[in-house]
Amino acid sequence: MYHLATVFPPIRRVRLPLSRDQLMLLMAAINLIFLGIDIYLAHSISPTITPNEWIPIIFGPIAGVLLLVAGVIALRNRPLATVIATVVLMASIVVGLLGDYFHIMRAILPNAPTGQQVTVDLLVWAPPLLGPLMFALVGLLGISAAWVESPADSGTLVLLGGRHLRLPYSKTRAYFFMIGMGTLATVISSVLDHARTHFANPWLWIPTAAGVFGTVIAVAVAVFEKPRRADLIIYIVAMVLLMIVGVLGAVLHISTNLIAEGTIVGERFIHGAPFLAPLLFANMGMLGLIVLLDPAEQRR
Amino acid sequence: MSEPPPQSAVKSARLLIIGLVAVILVLGMALIVLAIGQPAPAASTAARPDALANSDDACVTCHRRTTPGIVEQYGHSTMAGAKVTCRNCHEVKADYPGAVEHEGTYVLQQPTTAMCEKCHVQEVAEFMQSRHSLPAWVAFAGSKDLSPNLLAKYQAIPEGQFAPDKQRNAIAAMEGPDITQFACQSCHSIGRPNTDESVGKCAACHLRHEFSLEQARKPETCNNCHIGPDHPQWEIYQESAHGIAYATTGQNWNWNAAPGTLTVKDFPAPTCATCHFSGFGASGTTHDVGDRLTWYLFASLSERRPDWQGNMTHMQNVCRECHNKQFVDDFYTSADKLVDAVNALVKQSNDIMQPLTDKGLITNKQFDDPIKFTAYELWHHYGRTAKFGSWMQGADYTQWHGAYEVEKRLVELRTEVDQRLKAALMPSPVAAPTTVP
Repeated sequence: MYHLATVFPPIRRVRLPLSRDQLMLLMAAINLIFLGIDIYLAHSISPTITPNEWIPIIFGPIAGVLLLVAGVIALRNRPLATVIATVVLMASIVVGLLGDYFHIMRAILPNAPTGQQVTVDLLVWAPPLLGPLMFALVGLLGISAAWVESPADSGTLVLLGGRHLRLPYSKTRAYFFMIGMGTLATVISSVLDHARTHFANPWLWIPTAAGVFGTVIAVAVAVFEKPRRADLIIYIVAMVLLMIVGVLGAVLHISTNLIAEGTIVGERFIHGAPFLAPLLFANMGMLGLIVLLDPAEQRR
Repeated sequence: MSEPPPQSAVKSARLLIIGLVAVILVLGMALIVLAIGQPAPAASTAARPDALANSDDACVTCHRRTTPGIVEQYGHSTMAGAKVTCRNCHEVKADYPGAVEHEGTYVLQQPTTAMCEKCHVQEVAEFMQSRHSLPAWVAFAGSKDLSPNLLAKYQAIPEGQFAPDKQRNAIAAMEGPDITQFACQSCHSIGRPNTDESVGKCAACHLRHEFSLEQARKPETCNNCHIGPDHPQWEIYQESAHGIAYATTGQNWNWNAAPGTLTVKDFPAPTCATCHFSGFGASGTTHDVGDRLTWYLFASLSERRPDWQGNMTHMQNVCRECHNKQFVDDFYTSADKLVDAVNALVKQSNDIMQPLTDKGLITNKQFDDPIKFTAYELWHHYGRTAKFGSWMQGADYTQWHGAYEVEKRLVELRTEVDQRLKAALMPSPVAAPTTVP
């Protein structure tokens, strides 16, 4: 029995139009498109966007659309769709790692005096250190979803030509790990950003606490060979908490950027509190809940 | 005793994965604790590490010996922290206008706005539309020496076509370049044409080589030029309530707040930058210094600027962060009336002088007669002071350095013109007003 059914047995009677992996790929596509938009706003902080900074802005939406196209192709030709999706998602991993390299290089001062080349202070004021890794996470999640696992939850992927690849963990457990790492990246990003305000506002502790809780719970569930019903309930609570915190954070960020009488000044949404960033928490929560769905491929 | 079964690769991989995840988790949590627990982040220039301390770049190592101050300043700047090198701003091709050979390469001794524009496109574009650009230069040097390209740029500036008074050009010609280099040109070069046909000098406000946000925002930066008997904005600001707030509590303001995020928490009272440049309230950041101004106050007879209603909204967006609408509206209505009143006084002076011109009793040359200095100072020093004083809330300057001196010069002019007309046996058409305007 799959995890969500362990917690809510009646859910077994519900038949979703998309399989778990299809939902993961859909989320990957949506993530890539939104990442492109979010990064365009982030890179607009300096009025001139350099050539390297255009890479994720252009790649994100194109990659998202290509994934959606692959999804349509999959209805008729699954192997071709898998190859297309894998290429796009591998590129996403490369873009993510490249972006992180650029952000790290921008943050550190290699010629500063010893002990001042990498400091927490520099990391706080630098471009988001782990932001670009979202591309890599989406790539990893997406690649995991693109390849069929047969039997379900066995850790054995079916490759082209009928070959098989035996992985140390089932896809479900791999997803749990990725959710944990993704949540950790999100909470580190939020803490580094909030550190600019010295954590004076007590509301800033909420995403920190919820993020740490979500990280530890997701990783713990991944480590457990057979999580119990109670474990899964706590996991669901953690994921729902992430979703609530994400939406609440977005509302608070938007509220901070509005000026008197609710007026919207575009510049404040670019330079002020990033209003899409908190939705990363909600994103991880949503992905975390999708992991609990039936891992079996749908029969047509 | 049987041998234990060999550990499978899969199980070993599992352990490795758990181990790696644990490492990442622990390091991540440590970073979170460190970030939360650290003291206030260092955003000010002095607190930033020297990004060039151990640099072996040829420019840095040589200039650390020859001009150490530049290297020390630049090392602590955000530009150095962003990996902008000396070459990025100074190095050009051999055939670049203004290039000089330097240690095997070619450089601009002073980078022009064309170099700044490589990264700061929007700022340079806004600056180019403002009176800080070519109009500032033309006010001092005139437009006759502008190339066709620069003349076209000048004519494209919406607020640049308000005809500058030629008397300032005449003063510059009178004194000569040996003097004006250290005088008028020093300030008006903010809009100078450069050898590469770009315009302006960003370093006039963004002092090299620290390029400090705090320095650019502080009123002392503007007082380099906006000072003195003909445009005493610095003195007026110091007298005003805004200036008093700055002088007494400004050391607690958030001078390094990120552009586009400023609120009254950062600046409880305005500075020059707050009102005229910074994104504040519902107004976005601008490098067009005239974007929020309704009048050409600098002119002898002030007129409305082309988009004065829009500009008024931009400025009032800033005012409304502290003042209510009625207060702001009443202020604008009253200050508009003062401008009209000063315009009327300046027009009176023009009417007083006119018979001398009509009768050929003065030449058409500039500044060859004491009366011309009197007429000039009436509007250029005192009329403008009254106008600036009212709009920037400096009562003493509005009155005793402004309106009072205008009235005094009017009497002097009237008396002098009467005497000259009588000496020329001509009737005096100019009578003193019987009522005070």
